[in-house]
Amino acid sequence: MSGMHLSREFFELIKAIGESKSKQEEDRIIAREVVTLKKKLETGGAGGGGGLSMIPGSPVPSMGGNAGNQNGLNTNKKKAREFLVRVLYVEMLGHDGSFGYIKAVELAASQSITHKRTGYLLCSCCLSPDHEFRFMLVNQMQRDLISSNLLESCGALLAVTSLITPDLVGTVSTQVMGLLEHSAETVRKKAIIALHRLYQLNPDIVTKEEVVEKVRRMLCDRDPAVMGATLNVIEALARCDVAPFKDLVPSLVSILKQICERRLPSEYDYHRIPAPWMQMKIIRILSVVGKNDSQASEGMYEILREALRKAEEAGINASNAIVYECIRCITMIYPNAVLLDSAGASISRFLSSRSQNLRYLGIIGLASIVEKHPKYAADHQLAVIECLEDKDETLLRKTLDLLYRMTNPVNVEFITDRLLHFLRGSTDPYLKSDLTSKICTISERFAPNNAWYVSTITELFKIAGDLVDPDVATNLMSLIAEGTGNEDDDEEADMVLRKQSVELYVSLLASPPNRMSRVLVETLAWVLGEYGYLSSAMSLDAIIDSMCKLLHSGNNARLGGGATSTRRLVLSAIMKMVAQFGSCPQCAAKIIDDYTLSEDPDAQRRCLEFQAIITTAPQLLSEVFPVDASLEDVEVDVNMNFLDGIVSVAAANGARPYSKPDDDDDDDDYLSSQTATGSAFKMTPYEKPTERAYGQGAMAGLGSSSMGPSATTAGVALPPGQAPGVNSPTSALQQPQQTTSPGQPQLTIRNSGANVWGKKPTAQAAPPAPPVAASPSVNSFSSPSPAPPRPTYGGFGAQVQSTSSAPPPAKTAEQLEKERMAAALFGGIGASAPPPPVPPSQPVSTPQPRATVPQQQPLSVQSQAPQPTTSFAPAAPQPPAAPAPEIDLLGFDSSGVSEPAAISSSVDMLAPTPLIDEPTMNGSLSVPPVPAAEPEPPKVEAPAPPDDPFAAAGLLDGFGDSSLPTLSTTEALDSAKFEYSGSPIAPFTITTPQFGERWGSCPSTHSVTIASSTNVNSLSKFVSLCVRAGLHKVEEIAATNEGIAACMAGGGSSIALVHGKVSPLSGDASRLDITVKSSDANLGSQLAMYMQNMCR
Amino acid sequence: MIKGIIIVNNSGKPRLVKFYQNVFGEEKQQSVIRRVFQQVSTRPDSFCNYLEGSVPEWGEKCKLIYRHYATLYFVFAVDAQESDLGILDLIQVFVEALDKRFENVCELDLIFHSDKVHHILDEIVMGGMVLETNINAILQAISDQERMHKDSMKTKGPNESVDLISTKLGAGRNW
Repeated sequence: MSGMHLSREFFELIKAIGESKSKQEEDRIIAREVVTLKKKLETGGAGGGGGLSMIPGSPVPSMGGNAGNQNGLNTNKKKAREFLVRVLYVEMLGHDGSFGYIKAVELAASQSITHKRTGYLLCSCCLSPDHEFRFMLVNQMQRDLISSNLLESCGALLAVTSLITPDLVGTVSTQVMGLLEHSAETVRKKAIIALHRLYQLNPDIVTKEEVVEKVRRMLCDRDPAVMGATLNVIEALARCDVAPFKDLVPSLVSILKQICERRLPSEYDYHRIPAPWMQMKIIRILSVVGKNDSQASEGMYEILREALRKAEEAGINASNAIVYECIRCITMIYPNAVLLDSAGASISRFLSSRSQNLRYLGIIGLASIVEKHPKYAADHQLAVIECLEDKDETLLRKTLDLLYRMTNPVNVEFITDRLLHFLRGSTDPYLKSDLTSKICTISERFAPNNAWYVSTITELFKIAGDLVDPDVATNLMSLIAEGTGNEDDDEEADMVLRKQSVELYVSLLASPPNRMSRVLVETLAWVLGEYGYLSSAMSLDAIIDSMCKLLHSGNNARLGGGATSTRRLVLSAIMKMVAQFGSCPQCAAKIIDDYTLSEDPDAQRRCLEFQAIITTAPQLLSEVFPVDASLEDVEVDVNMNFLDGIVSVAAANGARPYSKPDDDDDDDDYLSSQTATGSAFKMTPYEKPTERAYGQGAMAGLGSSSMGPSATTAGVALPPGQAPGVNSPTSALQQPQQTTSPGQPQLTIRNSGANVWGKKPTAQAAPPAPPVAASPSVNSFSSPSPAPPRPTYGGFGAQVQSTSSAPPPAKTAEQLEKERMAAALFGGIGASAPPPPVPPSQPVSTPQPRATVPQQQPLSVQSQAPQPTTSFAPAAPQPPAAPAPEIDLLGFDSSGVSEPAAISSSVDMLAPTPLIDEPTMNGSLSVPPVPAAEPEPPKVEAPAPPDDPFAAAGLLDGFGDSSLPTLSTTEALDSAKFEYSGSPIAPFTITTPQFGERWGSCPSTHSVTIASSTNVNSLSKFVSLCVRAGLHKVEEIAATNEGIAACMAGGGSSIALVHGKVSPLSGDASRLDITVKSSDANLGSQLAMYMQNMCR
Repeated sequence: MIKGIIIVNNSGKPRLVKFYQNVFGEEKQQSVIRRVFQQVSTRPDSFCNYLEGSVPEWGEKCKLIYRHYATLYFVFAVDAQESDLGILDLIQVFVEALDKRFENVCELDLIFHSDKVHHILDEIVMGGMVLETNINAILQAISDQERMHKDSMKTKGPNESVDLISTKLGAGRNW
């Protein structure tokens, strides 16, 4: 029926616009249309004229006037309406249709409801907020609000929400409130929303108390539709202030209960779901009310469980929306273990869904749950990795947010890398600043070592220096200066760090200066100025040369954003290096010479002073610029005793003696006022952190002379220790220590961060692996006696010849890459759960992360036990190649075992989705089947040799003799390496007997059981995994499917021994029992964690 | 709340624009429309229906939730208060209502009857709040209104007499 009563003209217009090729052409067409419309307004204005006169003037149009025009108006009105529709269209395309507004105002007074609303519509869409026509419409709205025709009231209420401005609220508020009592539900529901709008516009006239009171009453309206609309208003109000609605919990719960029980008329169903929007709204309100309120939360647990269960049953889009709101609510309110588990199950269903929307919501849900309950993250490794590789940026962003929230000390490198990578390619300013602060936060909290922190932050400076908080640079510099800040003062390590930093920044000298952010240039200047002499890549004079070039090019280009302070810093760095170098290279001399003429008085002063020193007393240079003294406390002689001589001479000459202020406390005041007034004189650069660091540093002497205005008295060189202006440097020096010095806190914070994830490595070292017994193949290992069972190992050695086990199913490079990513990403999460003692020969699987809190998960524990025994008890010795059905099952099983998920999810992408509903639910609650294979960690001790004779030889041996299954790239190989304390471990080349000897003496034991791994499902894969990680393959015992490997870390100071047993299950999964013994509990636990992650 | 609703066709021509959080000035409104279209149109249908934080006029925490039907994108800009999936269903309700009202709604209907489309939308979303989600109630409100209306339905023969009567009734009730 389109356009039946609309003119051909309009149709042609739209057609022409639709076919127009360019904006210009469109503009021409519209311009023509505007001319036509204006003409119409003039010619057809007869009817309009009557209307016009009535609007500003008489409040009520006389019937006579209308009746008089009746005949002409009918056709006119119809045309008038089309006229308005066309004006609306013109406006929508961005052109001025203001000539037609008057017609709209006129039409709003029409008796026909459609015309009236069209008139209101055009006004509300087009009138600017201060347009005078708004005032003209108030009268009309007032009349319509109290009209006996409910449709007119509705039209007026709608107009109120868009046409009333804050100063007009008073004109209609009474009428709107009156309509809350209207007999028709359609009016009441509009009135409550209009009232809320008025409150938003002007809370002085429609007060909060009024709105809250009305809203509470409307919630109990006899008509559900009114209640539904009211819920929206309640949520909006509760988000601003929850207090007035706290006591509504029982009412809301009971409403939700009734909806769930289908007490509402079926017309409120949507796709057979009872009133889904109302359910959503109520749940959202509950989440706001229940936040941080355990009492309120308790009242809603039951109904949430019920709503979630019912919604899960339905499994369609509308019910998923309810499920999602339940998840959000459960994670927001005071936590309840059972509900959290249900939410976790729903999240995993979302994540494994084929629907991109559900995956998106799953990621959000996971992010909301993972911060407080990290154990749920480990279940979804592969899903997260896949989202991370998704092309959909929305999903990607959410995933990055999730990563940020699940960062821990183990995966921080991987996550930071990802965030940096994404930051590099991003153009959205919001996203960039968000990512930047996230990277700063996590790298500061979880940095594995200082070198990593320095390089990461430097990289960040490179990519998005403009967005970095200046404090970060301060922290970075104080870290380089102070090192770890540990008591034991490992000066050597600090020097290594400094050297690394210097080399890093030396390498940056080559980058184009105008591309470098200010913070990068300033940090670079400080680092090289302080420690440039440490560089072995570049000689000091070459660095000076480069810095001069930098400064020179920066003169013209906008060095570091063109800030003068940046140039000053580079200048000072050059001076410091000149002092270190011992002589002034030509280029530096020239630069300094140039800057004595600088417009910047600060730079000029520095250069003049420097020239004075170097020409008159070059021997002072090293005192003025002491090497590596940025941390040395500059002693401030508050009393300025060094002036005593001058004073006494002056006094002798008759000068008036200085009278001390009577208040002793003034000392302090004096100091602070000194800085305060000083800052009034000082210019901006001294507020910059870099400047402070610089001031505190080697430049102290010279810095003091130019820093404090008082220092001018000293002329050239005050003794560094006695400069009066030094106050600010000292305070600056203390500041980084008080605040977050990344060096020291990093350690402490790391620990606290670790705690978030449950007991971390240290704690993990605690639970000793249970003494294992009754394993046929491991009898000889079973006694935990410290006696080294050398013969046993010898025995194994004898069996070794046939190392050929079942050839591992080839894996694609992509899969490997994903698994590697998952391991990197989820490192530390799974590890948060030290595998509890596993009774041997019992099929109770211990999904690592979940097992930590078994009491919270009765469901999972219950369901997992019987299943495996029945279905998987007959463990096939040989892993079949392509077990399709299991893959689906395991793939959806998201609890703990990631490896099956790896394969299944890659299968998923191609295959049609396996049943999402049921299996998923089951899978996420239960735990993968585990056969009756027993962990058999040989509990034997051997002393860790501090001086290992094989240490040197081990470096190369590790790689050579191992069979590496399809490895994608060397990168993958490299990055798969296990790192301890920031450096890769070295293979420890020993023989089986030696292995046996050391086994017993290693004090720490970490056992890991992977209930079902398809990733590492054969002995050879396990061994190659070890080799890939950087261990030395000691022996591969095909007969018993056992492998042993060894490594050392810290240059041989600690060793770790790995024993693994592979028990093939049916399908191509295998159970893995890995025992890591180490002379260093930390190394052991991290390696165990790593192995676990790589195998899952 | 819902900050705005934009319907735009595959070539970027707006078909319905409604701002609940006011964006004043033609220029700004046009830039919002352009921006929304640019972002939405570059996303294949296989992507999820959400877009975040990308319309400065609507502030940082604005999320676009959209659906793509044949030639049209229905885009709702919302803040954190709205339910992600709920809005998707709401769009569906809106489209179903249009479809029922216009009997196989097509793009042209949205232009020729943009006032009616607005009226339908007004029954669903009011002042940025979800007013009604029950499609029957929505259609009922519209048909009530149209039954009262006198002129526009004349071409539909059978309705004519009803229109006239209700018009008279309405007029009588008015004043």
